[in-house]
Amino acid sequence: MKWSRAKADTILVHLVLVLIGVVFVIPLLWMIFAAFDGNATLALQVPQHWTLGNFWAILSDPANQRSFVNGVIISLGQSVLVVIVAGLAAYPLSRYQLKYKRPFMYTILFSTSLPITAVMVPVYELFVFLHITDSIFWTTLFLAASGLPYAIWIMKNFMDSVPIELEEAAWTDGASAFSSLRKIVAPLMLPGISTVGIFTFAGSWGNFFVPFILIQTPSKLPASVTIFQFFGQYGSVEYGKLAAFSILYTIPAVVLYVLGQRYMSTGFQFGGATKG
Amino acid sequence: MAVHAFAKSSGRRKPLPGGASNHSGWRAIMFLLPSWLLLAVFFFVPILLTFYFAFTNLSLTGTSSLATKFIGFQNFVSMFQDPTFRISVIKTIVFLVFSAVIGQQVLGLLLAVLMNERHRVFRSAIGVLVIAGWVTPEIVVAFIFYAFFSDGGTLDTFLSVFHVQPIAWLYAFPMVSVIIANIWHGTAFSMMVYQAALGDVPKEILESAAIDGAGRFQRFVRVTLPMIKGSIATNMMLITLQTLGVFTLIYSLTGGGPGNRTMTLPIYMYQQAFSDYQLGYGTAISLILLIIGIVASFVYLRMLKVKL
Amino acid sequence: MKRRAVCIGSSIALACVGLSGCATNSQHVAPQTSSHQQGEASTVKQRIITVAYQQFGNPPYFNQEWLQQAAQQFEKKYRGVTVKLEPIEASENDFYTKIDLMMKSASTAPDVVTEDTFLINADGSAGYLQPLNTEVKSWPDWSQFSAAMKSGSTSNGGVVYGVPYSTDTRGLYYDVKIFKDAGLPVPWHPKNWNDVLNAAKKIKEKVPGVVPLWMQVGKATGEATTMQTFEMLLYGTPDTLYDAAKHKWIVQSPGFLNSLKWIQTVYAGGLGPSLSQILNAQAGNIESQQLMPQQKIGIALDGNWLPGSWQKNGPAPWPDGTKAYQLTAMPTEYGQAPGYTSMSGGWALSISRLSQNKQLAWDFIKIATDKNNMEWYDVHQGNLAPRKDVADDPSYENAPGQFFKVATSFEKFTHFRPANAQYPSVSTQIQAAVEAVATGALTPEQAMQQYASNVQRIVGASNTEIVSK
Repeated sequence: MKWSRAKADTILVHLVLVLIGVVFVIPLLWMIFAAFDGNATLALQVPQHWTLGNFWAILSDPANQRSFVNGVIISLGQSVLVVIVAGLAAYPLSRYQLKYKRPFMYTILFSTSLPITAVMVPVYELFVFLHITDSIFWTTLFLAASGLPYAIWIMKNFMDSVPIELEEAAWTDGASAFSSLRKIVAPLMLPGISTVGIFTFAGSWGNFFVPFILIQTPSKLPASVTIFQFFGQYGSVEYGKLAAFSILYTIPAVVLYVLGQRYMSTGFQFGGATKG
Repeated sequence: MAVHAFAKSSGRRKPLPGGASNHSGWRAIMFLLPSWLLLAVFFFVPILLTFYFAFTNLSLTGTSSLATKFIGFQNFVSMFQDPTFRISVIKTIVFLVFSAVIGQQVLGLLLAVLMNERHRVFRSAIGVLVIAGWVTPEIVVAFIFYAFFSDGGTLDTFLSVFHVQPIAWLYAFPMVSVIIANIWHGTAFSMMVYQAALGDVPKEILESAAIDGAGRFQRFVRVTLPMIKGSIATNMMLITLQTLGVFTLIYSLTGGGPGNRTMTLPIYMYQQAFSDYQLGYGTAISLILLIIGIVASFVYLRMLKVKL
Repeated sequence: MKRRAVCIGSSIALACVGLSGCATNSQHVAPQTSSHQQGEASTVKQRIITVAYQQFGNPPYFNQEWLQQAAQQFEKKYRGVTVKLEPIEASENDFYTKIDLMMKSASTAPDVVTEDTFLINADGSAGYLQPLNTEVKSWPDWSQFSAAMKSGSTSNGGVVYGVPYSTDTRGLYYDVKIFKDAGLPVPWHPKNWNDVLNAAKKIKEKVPGVVPLWMQVGKATGEATTMQTFEMLLYGTPDTLYDAAKHKWIVQSPGFLNSLKWIQTVYAGGLGPSLSQILNAQAGNIESQQLMPQQKIGIALDGNWLPGSWQKNGPAPWPDGTKAYQLTAMPTEYGQAPGYTSMSGGWALSISRLSQNKQLAWDFIKIATDKNNMEWYDVHQGNLAPRKDVADDPSYENAPGQFFKVATSFEKFTHFRPANAQYPSVSTQIQAAVEAVATGALTPEQAMQQYASNVQRIVGASNTEIVSK
């Protein structure tokens, strides 16, 4: 009796999960069907003739190619910068007994809370004042700064979990703090580094607002802005191309997720982060 | 300033065991310097400027863009008389509560709990479907749901089975639509947080509770929930702050409309600052958004009693 | 302490400038200029002037073709100078924002920019635009531009900020077939707002499946919502938007309220298009390139340039378009004198104040706005010509597939928007009010109240007035 009730429970749980999974996948269907359909509309329909034409149309446009390159430069640049700078900052925060550590960490935590959207007007004015508008480099640097608080916070928590004993051995061998960070801590931090890197890349790759405001020259715009412009211009006409563009644009984020996925589960352990 | 503070503090740090004492204070500065420089120039300066611009009549075009004046609290006085501002505060709260606090949080926890202890393959199969929404860039999420909710789109196709007439959901139920889109996009994050947290709950405790006769639900409420309290609060804070700043999704899905029906604060700020050329007023709205963010994180931190 | 931070900051900044310099250079080598540049770089100092304009919707882009033609002629005449066209792919509102952002900084300011005349005063007084008074004085062609046209790109204080290259009028398009099916008279000459409303009601009743009355009401369609819809109504009432004598904005008036009420009647009564069609930034293209060619719109309140889309090489070729649809004048509220109303705006070429090549930019504008180039553009785009010699040219006047003659006749009773630097900010408040009323979010009274308080905030309460009965 009891056994069968447990079994019924199990079946129910599986059913509920499958149902949720199906509900989650339904919105994606349109994008996939439409991308391969030469005559896509907004309606959900299986293409009568499957075609790659939409993809070629997007890929063969030099402006789109350039925007993808720009996007990779910005997002990759930002991720690398964030990982290095946050890693450096996390080291003393994790290893040294700093007197002002607590206020510093509070500041960092508060900073993660500030919606970047909210400071764009002053940021733009600042860029004009410093004569650095319309620059991929400075935009990347700004994005890196905006990703830092979150990254430092996660990095510090990861670093706390790397046992200090390993470093102590290196120190007695005369290694500097920097080289022990590089040679001993960094390899053990790989999960943390990939979590931060992937989070940053994904956030940056999808960020349309910041480059939309800070970059003016069309040839410097990243894919996030061109896809938005494409939607505005042709979105209500060229549905197939929009879907194909969306898929192409989603690929880098998926690839990165697949690559870093095995490290990521530990990246979500926030329980320990708050126990102090 | 802050760098200075660190120089002092790191000099006084307790020497670490085993040879760590040969690390002098300036090392700490060197490690922290790049982050401080970046944060100072691109983060704290803009925040200070936000406080300044919010009290000016700075504008993108017209006479006041040349002769910008300090106008005291005038922006805030008009803001509190501005019905659209009031509407957008309410819309922001509705969007926040339903899409993040309730939607993502509850669904994420539910998924994690239900998936806990299921077969590995089944877990990851369902997990991938949910995570697909999270991996998809925000702007693509907007397109997907534009198609999903459009007149004669995917949702209407499914509902036509039940003989429901096609509805342009984005115009008939705009707020519900953007909330659903945001839940679809964000749930995986909460799910992964809770999966990690549930993995940390020792099985022995749950088993001994079961032996004591606690039912499934009781075990969850009495044992699991208290043990993952920290993750709940942290997750709550993170998604609250993410959701407060959501711009791309709403801007490309509805643009804040129709009328003001999805006009959250970030959208209203953008409209006032960039479409309506009122940079000063837009910045004042930003300041409110910043303050809401700060208050929210403060409340959560208090609830959490975080020690760093 | 402070100094040290600055030092480090600046040394990093220097390193960065080096890097970004490289990045920028490699970005700038556009395919069409690179070969050119290498060929002459050794002999003549290469100069580039940039021209920024809006590009939106489906090709062809006649403004781009026109500027390209002018650029070729210019490059032939001025050896060693390259004209670089910078299309801004953005909806109307985003375009205005974008060019303002660009003109704020010397590194991004284009040399020549296309300016909607409603924004030109604001951008001029914001210091973005170069005054052209001395240039036009010594330019014989300037006398070809009528006084009304010149005033569109001239500030209250007499500063000339641009050379107009197009103007327009607005009226009612009606579908002959739909009108006949609905039993309405053709040709149609409505005498007041009620005539228009009744015609729309009759279409709704007799011809299902078509949009009885199309008028832009979305914030996304920007200035079109203000000008094609709201001002076409307001300027047909006894009231107006701006009291030019007292320099005050009229924030509440019976005419304002009646205009909003009329919009409410149309949309609440199901006489307008669906909100998903009309609140779209693409609404104008959906209207002229999809629904009108399918003859799915009974009446459309819009600009005279619409048939430009239907040209042989236009985005939606439709040779019979100007037979299927006819253009008639928009009546005043009760048919009061002069019986009809219209609005005129237009575009101008301006020079950015931060331009490094002002003389060359001016030389370019002179070529782009000469008689031949102007006529080519106005005929293709379907705009009214601001130059008298073009307007009088029979090949323009009788251009096939256009309504130039009828549209030009509206100039008798047309209105221009207030030449006030605050106009663009006020206009967006009108759009918010119109959208709120059309979607039913606010009543006309509430929307006017909100408009009043927002405009008082923007221009200052002392610069506004309330007109009651």
